Amino acid sequence: MIRLYHVSKSYGSAQVLHDVTFRLSKGEFAYLTGASGAGKSTLLKLLYGAEAPTSGKLLVGGVDASKLGPARLPLLRRNLGVIFQDFKLIPNRTVFDNVGLALEVIGAERREISRRVNAVLNVVGLGGKGERRPLDLSGGEQQRVAIARAIVNDPAVLLADEPTGNLDGAMAVEVMEILLSINLRGTTVLIATHDNGLMERFPHRRLRLNAGRMSE
Amino acid sequence: MSATLGHILRRAARSLWENLSLNAVAAGVIAAALLLGGAFWGAMSTLNDAVEVWERDVHLSAYFASGVDEARQRAVLAEVQAMPEVEAVTWVTATDARAYLEERVPDIQPILVELGEDAVPASLEITLRARYIGDETLSDFVTRLQRAEFEELDYGKEWVERLTAFLGLLKALGAALGTLLVMAAVFLVGNTMHLVTYARRAELETMKLVGATLQFIAAPFLIEGAVQGLIGALLAIGALSGLKAVLLGRIQELVPLGQAPLADGSLGLSTVLGLLTVGVLLGVVGCGSAVLRFWRQAP
Repeated sequence: MIRLYHVSKSYGSAQVLHDVTFRLSKGEFAYLTGASGAGKSTLLKLLYGAEAPTSGKLLVGGVDASKLGPARLPLLRRNLGVIFQDFKLIPNRTVFDNVGLALEVIGAERREISRRVNAVLNVVGLGGKGERRPLDLSGGEQQRVAIARAIVNDPAVLLADEPTGNLDGAMAVEVMEILLSINLRGTTVLIATHDNGLMERFPHRRLRLNAGRMSE
Repeated sequence: MSATLGHILRRAARSLWENLSLNAVAAGVIAAALLLGGAFWGAMSTLNDAVEVWERDVHLSAYFASGVDEARQRAVLAEVQAMPEVEAVTWVTATDARAYLEERVPDIQPILVELGEDAVPASLEITLRARYIGDETLSDFVTRLQRAEFEELDYGKEWVERLTAFLGLLKALGAALGTLLVMAAVFLVGNTMHLVTYARRAELETMKLVGATLQFIAAPFLIEGAVQGLIGALLAIGALSGLKAVLLGRIQELVPLGQAPLADGSLGLSTVLGLLTVGVLLGVVGCGSAVLRFWRQAP
């Protein structure tokens, strides 16, 4: 589902990723781990097309993400769900609208949007909170809104950048359990984190980045 | 297609409502730009109208020499009428001229009696076609008009020279000021739109991250831009009409503009349509370029 072949990324003279190669199969759950500045976020950015690699090739859901032009970028992102540490919710829109945005951009009918958004809000435990605004919710609830938005169109791949970074222990566990349940439905999940406690509690494959070099 | 259009319109309407203050600022800036440009254009038009009236006032007086009888004067009148530069000629006989002078300056009558019958000469009052009023063409015409029957040709050479120089200066100044104003308006509107878009960057960035295409993001923005432009243009039209009604009457009191068409207080359909078109274009192009710039910068 995700394949990287000798991927490197530099910003000017600073090389952030060195010759990274790995493969993540369909339905797999893995952690991308490493210290701050190891290159985790950069690798995720390459996977969702926010950055292009300096060299190498990466395939995400069969799409060559290393050669994406601006016109094809939306096609990649519609097959991906991305969760950010800072949630990236639109503050003046309701929870329903925030989640429905991922369906709106693919031209889904209003009735279909309503059905799927309500269903996914129930999955993440936010049923009945669709009309609330993000800022009226707790950090954990906001992260669950972001998760709902990421999975509402059944993406093949779910990427999460420090999804529990802003949450306390109990909320982090709740979020992890939701991500695991999504994985159980067949979605490939890659989580960038440096939270060892969480990785020990929910053990899965670990891809380690150390100063831009990958090891397992 | 209609569902898509309906969806875009719904999003645009919602966005207009949710970002009311930002849209009001954008419409206000467009109104200010149009007001500035419209006021300048109006001032230039009024000046042009005034200059046209002054140009029409440029005419020649050709005074017959004493001894040229009326039959010969008639013949010269026909010759002058046939000249292509001439729009109209009025033949003023010596009797008419004398009567006119006596009527206008009653005190001059004793002097005229003293001077005798030939004191006031007959003349031809010649009005030229507008395109021949330029400095060189007028001199050329005067040369060809010279005849033994005329004692003197009076055409206010200095006035024509001054008018021609003034017109040239006015046109150059107008072009320079107009260019500056257009640049300032585009800069002002462009930067305002950029700031308005920047204030909504979180929304736009999120849309792009979840797979929105540029068209999906831009379409409602373009509609918003058109609405902002339309409202801005309507505000500018209202303000310009008010300004014109107040100022033009005052100006006309000070400077006679003859039949200047702007003097009736209304802007005219073509001006209103022009302002609406420019307003909508400014809004659409400003919003479009701001969204495009954002699209290129967002992750």
